[in-house]
Amino acid sequence: MSAVARANRLTPYLFLAPAAVVLIFALLYPIGYMIYASFLDWSPSQRIGQAEFVGLKNYANLLHDSAFHESFWVTIKFAFVVVTLEMVLGVGLALLLDRNIRGMSVLRTVFILPMMIAPIVVGLMWRYMYHPTVGIFNRTIKSWGFDEGIPWLSDSTWSFVAVVIADVWQWTPFIFILALAAMQSLPRSALEAAEIDGASEWQKITLIKIPLMMPVLVVTLLLRLIDAFKVLEVILVLTNGGPGLSTEIIALRIFRTAQEFQELGEAAAMSNVLLLMLMALTIGMFMYTKIQEARAARMRAAAEQTES
Amino acid sequence: MLNLLKQTGAGVAALTLTAGLATANPYEPYEGSTLVVNFPAHPHFDAVMQVLPQFTEETGIRVEVDQLQYLKMREKQTLELTKNKGDYDLIAYVVFSKADYVYADQLENLAKYFMNPALADPNYDAEDLIDGYVGNIGVSGGAKGYLPGPTGSLFGIPFGSETSILGYRKDIFDKHGLEVPKTYDDLLELACRIPELEPGMGGLASRAASGHHASHAYLLHLAPLGGRIFDDNWNPIMNNEEGVKAAEALKTIVECGAEGAETFGFAEAGASFLQGNSAMFLDSTVFAGQVNNPEKSKVVGKIGWAPHPEGTRRGSQTGGFGIGIPTNAQNKDAAFLLMQWLTSKEADKAIAVAGGNPSRFSTHSDPDVLAEQPHLEVFGEALKHADPDWRPIIPVWGKINADLGTTLSQVLTEDLDIQTALDGVAERSKAIMDDAGYYTWQQ
Repeated sequence: MSAVARANRLTPYLFLAPAAVVLIFALLYPIGYMIYASFLDWSPSQRIGQAEFVGLKNYANLLHDSAFHESFWVTIKFAFVVVTLEMVLGVGLALLLDRNIRGMSVLRTVFILPMMIAPIVVGLMWRYMYHPTVGIFNRTIKSWGFDEGIPWLSDSTWSFVAVVIADVWQWTPFIFILALAAMQSLPRSALEAAEIDGASEWQKITLIKIPLMMPVLVVTLLLRLIDAFKVLEVILVLTNGGPGLSTEIIALRIFRTAQEFQELGEAAAMSNVLLLMLMALTIGMFMYTKIQEARAARMRAAAEQTES
Repeated sequence: MLNLLKQTGAGVAALTLTAGLATANPYEPYEGSTLVVNFPAHPHFDAVMQVLPQFTEETGIRVEVDQLQYLKMREKQTLELTKNKGDYDLIAYVVFSKADYVYADQLENLAKYFMNPALADPNYDAEDLIDGYVGNIGVSGGAKGYLPGPTGSLFGIPFGSETSILGYRKDIFDKHGLEVPKTYDDLLELACRIPELEPGMGGLASRAASGHHASHAYLLHLAPLGGRIFDDNWNPIMNNEEGVKAAEALKTIVECGAEGAETFGFAEAGASFLQGNSAMFLDSTVFAGQVNNPEKSKVVGKIGWAPHPEGTRRGSQTGGFGIGIPTNAQNKDAAFLLMQWLTSKEADKAIAVAGGNPSRFSTHSDPDVLAEQPHLEVFGEALKHADPDWRPIIPVWGKINADLGTTLSQVLTEDLDIQTALDGVAERSKAIMDDAGYYTWQQ
């Protein structure tokens, strides 16, 4: 092979090299570090080199750790509930506001305000609103004539509800804004055709708007789901996981394992479990859209064949 | 202020006098050097900051203070102490860090400094230091590994330490002719009688929030009621009769507390007392500085103090901060001189007058100090019963503490049976302890 040909063959790799270097340092190194750390019995007072290698012990501990199991289920329950509520509310709001109203841009800004507030502040704000005596909710309830307020943060069921409400309040706007953007970029021709065919508003929504928005909604759902699995600050401030373990989601458990229990290795193991779970979720979601797309393509092809 | 000047003036005179007899000036070799110290943002250390310039004035040693929020401090220290050459010459640490730092060989053993005649002040009077605090915060390696004993040695000196104390509303007690509770039976009875006498007011403001707070409140009652977390062989015994009694006491207190008491942390419990929503308060002495501050308190001048009530024995909490010299410090001798100066009788007095928590018995009975801070007299009494072993200081405690705290929170909010709850904690603690090697010597 001549030198020129060899240079030609190497050129693409040369151009890829900077990206590969960035990827290795910014992504693979930290993840590798975390995976390595999960095999260590590592306290923060030690350097990583001094930590003892314990193999899979941290993972084995997680299998028997009932508090971790509880956190795991709380997280799944939390993520499922908040994301469902947020999707329904967010898309619903977008459908309602997808029209020309005066002052729409102002409204839109107002709607996404909760998303812009720092999570710690959101947590503190809601904590004061849930306050048993001076909080606005219980004061309102009492002013309606009820003797007892709701034990927002001191009852395990209610505190879960309280945490869900705060998260829905903060993150519904995110889904709303993405759904609205998707809706406004839908092809008008399809909707007009439907109108001519005499479709009702409801049919337009369920048969045209939602199916066409699906790709965007799936990505939105995925983003929210990943976020919901990792939410930390609001719950940390609101309940600190309590009462009992009723609101202790995995991110909070990881934080406490590293900070309070001083077990960096086990915290790393938990993070890896969370990472694996989210990866499975993401891959599953993409597989689903792939299958859907393939099915749609097959149907289109079949339709074209019968036509011709 | 004049008082402060007079005292420190006396202090300077005393110091120069003793120094004059020995060599010219023990601080001379270190004149002009700069020490870097790490203190928390905490009322005691705010008072220290007012007194610290005097050290520089007397000795010519400059001090640079890195003041951090106390939870942040641990993170920063963990980084600093693992370096080959540390930036800190003197650190303040919370009592839990003692176990970790000493075990990782990151704090200097102070024996060699107290043996060095050029450094140790013969008039230091270590007997006067509050022994409960020294045992809790300073000594490691004795009984159970974290307490004083024949094999123990000193790694730090208590500085900004705290014990528990009962605060009560004098006006409410006078109004209904109530007696200040001396025993736990009286305390519990009174805690539930007050909401009947004063509708809307809670009996005793206590922490109870899930986790550390609930566990702390439980431990406050455990020691006086005769319980312990572990027996001498590290077997968990928080589920024995005394342990159950302590949990029952906590439950009674929370049930008779102000509205929402189940979620109170330290700050909320304090606020409830300061806002006049609770008639009593049982927790750390560090809180005392706020009650007469009209910006924070609606009960200025209405608070009286009493020692932690007695159960089957006396035992108030010990905690707070100590100061020690990191092994990787670069000016260890000068750091020792600063440490000795800060905990000397004169400085302890000056810091107490400025609003800090004194580390010496004598300061609690000093007339000049009591003129400024009259509540310290009761605190001095309470300190005689400070229990250095009211909670274990072992590395795995964080985990057991969290489990205890979340389980107790279930007892308080979900009506989990106390015996079942504590049996569960004991069983899980046993596994944690076994895993950490505490049963290696048991057959």
